[in-house]
Amino acid sequence: MKSKTAKIILAGEGGQGVQTIAKILSTTAADEGFEVSYIPSFGVEQRGSPSIAFLTISQGAICYPRFDKADLAVILQERAIFNVARYIVPETTVIFDSSTVSFDAVRAKRKFGIPATKLASENLALKSLNVLMVGALSRLLDLPAEKTWQTIVSVLSKKFKTEEIKERNHQIFLLGKDFELKEGNFTEATFVPQHGPIKTGGEGKEAIIAPDHCKSCGICIIKCPFGALSFGKKLGLLSSPIPEVDFKKCTACDTCSRFCPDGAIKIKKIIK
Amino acid sequence: MPDKKIFITGNEAAVLGAIDAGAEVMFGYPITPATEILQGWVAKAEENKKLQYLQTEDEIAAGFGVLGVLLGGKKAFTASAGPGHILLQDPLSMAENLRLPFVGIMMQRGGPSTGTVNFSQQEVNLAAFGGNGDGLRIVYSASSVGELYELVIQAFNTAWQYRWPTIVLGDGYLGKTRSTVLLKKPRQLIPAYPILEEKTEPTHLRNCYSSEESFGEVLKKNIADWHKDKPAIVRSESLQTEEAETLIVAHGLVASAAKEAITGLNAKKNKIGLFRPITLNPLDSDALKKAAQKVKKIFIIESALNQLARIIKYELAGSEIEFIEIAKPAEGFTPEEIITRIKQNG
Amino acid sequence: MDNFSPKSWNQKSKPHFFCPGCGHAIALKQLGYAIDDLAIQQKTTIGIDIGCSLLVWDFFNIDTVQTHHGRTTPVMVGYKIAKPQRIALAYTGDGGAYAIGLQSLVHAAFRNNPVTVIVVNNENYAMTGGQLSPTTETGIKTTTSPSGKDLKFGPGFKGPELLHQIANEKSFIARGSISNPVQLKNLLIKAIKNQTDNNSFSFIEILSICPTNWKTDAEQSFERLKEMEKYYPIGEIK
Repeated sequence: MKSKTAKIILAGEGGQGVQTIAKILSTTAADEGFEVSYIPSFGVEQRGSPSIAFLTISQGAICYPRFDKADLAVILQERAIFNVARYIVPETTVIFDSSTVSFDAVRAKRKFGIPATKLASENLALKSLNVLMVGALSRLLDLPAEKTWQTIVSVLSKKFKTEEIKERNHQIFLLGKDFELKEGNFTEATFVPQHGPIKTGGEGKEAIIAPDHCKSCGICIIKCPFGALSFGKKLGLLSSPIPEVDFKKCTACDTCSRFCPDGAIKIKKIIK
Repeated sequence: MPDKKIFITGNEAAVLGAIDAGAEVMFGYPITPATEILQGWVAKAEENKKLQYLQTEDEIAAGFGVLGVLLGGKKAFTASAGPGHILLQDPLSMAENLRLPFVGIMMQRGGPSTGTVNFSQQEVNLAAFGGNGDGLRIVYSASSVGELYELVIQAFNTAWQYRWPTIVLGDGYLGKTRSTVLLKKPRQLIPAYPILEEKTEPTHLRNCYSSEESFGEVLKKNIADWHKDKPAIVRSESLQTEEAETLIVAHGLVASAAKEAITGLNAKKNKIGLFRPITLNPLDSDALKKAAQKVKKIFIIESALNQLARIIKYELAGSEIEFIEIAKPAEGFTPEEIITRIKQNG
Repeated sequence: MDNFSPKSWNQKSKPHFFCPGCGHAIALKQLGYAIDDLAIQQKTTIGIDIGCSLLVWDFFNIDTVQTHHGRTTPVMVGYKIAKPQRIALAYTGDGGAYAIGLQSLVHAAFRNNPVTVIVVNNENYAMTGGQLSPTTETGIKTTTSPSGKDLKFGPGFKGPELLHQIANEKSFIARGSISNPVQLKNLLIKAIKNQTDNNSFSFIEILSICPTNWKTDAEQSFERLKEMEKYYPIGEIK
């Protein structure tokens, strides 16, 4: 950390791990002897709204946990840009997940992309996104890598159920840490939610799935008496997978639609 | 061995304060942003069988449960916010009448009604004057995570020494902020004792009186005690007020933002000082008057309409000072914003 | 999204803010279909408690009022006095109904106030992060019962059974579950009809799931619900 105080704002979808990232970075910085302040921004909902964290790391006393201008802004989901735009000024460095946030959506003078979601899903799992980002940000904030990893281990110990999972997360952490952040243009954001109803059909049936409403809860999948539903590759509202239909097994019994909490699926027989 | 800095939230600091103060029982009900105090206490009670708790059916039961424990001679407290703080006025009133050492930690949130769960300074009136009496309750306002810890311990000491219901005001931001702190452990603890004394000569406690005169006697005695105890209880902080011609008055977390703002306003050169009440009730009026001696203008900054302003203006009634109220109910002030607002008003 | 969801649902507020897999939304779907079937959308007013139920405030194309925690029943009792021709629904959670709001609920049943109270029971205070509630069963871990709910805090609270003891004989009291949406809809219709046709109190508790605070996936959530149904009997309480 070159300057005396770093004011960092992190924003992403609820469930992506924004608060976990903030907790790990702040705890590491506190252990390193910095003055640290970390506060989540929160509303009433448990899920469904962007998750935002204010993190201040300083060599001197910190009086107030929030600020008007961020030195560093970390954006993990395009939907979250709206909530943090007001904290981005010309001097702000913006780090964004270039696999979920399109380059043009980020209005900032200094912006660096890292395809975090893509790297995480390809190398381990979507959930390890937070570990990857901690890696990248720890290097940016000059926090010692080994100490940061130890903090990850203690914070996420319950999730590291086996030594193998722990080791693979370690690799993801190092991947993030060693990623070279470059200013400039990037490839298209590919891990983006679908928009508009998706119509598929077969075997005399038609399925309409609304990715804008699907939260990937999985209830339709387990309630289907015929095992005709499974998670596909397309992403829904919370940037997590939405179901697809195996029409050979489906009987259009309407169970999925009856149980869906979000009115996101309907399958009917096509009357010829 | 020197104390180590730890990295904890305001709500965690509140729990540590209660434990280090010698509290043994907590009553509570889930309400954002104070819920973590109940959860934290429950977690500690799992390890330490001396600590007890009850998650009650509502805040009214929680507050009266606290009173029950006090009557039995143990230190007890509750923590709440917003609508829960409103319900606690019922037991607080009984505590005010009977001079019971009730301790409550209130993490202010936006109001009125359900409002927001986040932050405000709108529960000052409630804490100080919310019952159906004249507001003989001690109210502390914490401006940092470390101070929240200290004031919780102070609250137990004050309550048990002077027998006034005591509230520590924090807010949602403070409760949820994780901050590096060096906790100042208490030097002295005032012990608890049974208020229903179980002696041969029984204790009869009543809060209901038939005649105005007999009740008037009780109130007169309580008010006399209030004035007598005031000098030992009041606390405040004055920053660069010796030569100040402009004074900023703020409390709690807003005062912390103001502290940072003062450096940006070139305070010494521009003769700007900061007066921070730590007790809002009773207010440290002597210190306020001293800080305001040469002052021409006072900025009262609060995240409420005028709850602090009324208290301050009452104490300085009759002065020639110009008061400017900078009010942002239910929203916080960053240091940058305070600087901007003060500059805008000359 | 026609015929994906009830007509009475307000599409402008969708996707709604309930968590992924929330049982409330499944219950609200059947409530919506019940309102559609009875064609009472224009005649209904819904009072809402504070908790996850507060998210219903813009959920339907129906007049709603967010009340205070535990005060939904008395608000709708008052509303029905002013507007006896309208259908008064009180929508709350297990905390609002059986803890802070129990006194008012008991008295509404006792007086046979012609309101319909709907309680979505997911065995915890969900919006505040998963604390124990009166309906949390013995041994269940929550943030205020980290080693499992001890009997000294009471076993699982049986609200419909309690109300049945003091309610007027014309009242309708039942318990449904989101595991059986068709039965649930029928119970809701019967409950509402008890208000409109018999001018009497009706009450329905709905066993529900909370994947977020239970920390369960879809499969595990419905497994736990099955266990709940063993302790909390489904059907009309006669």
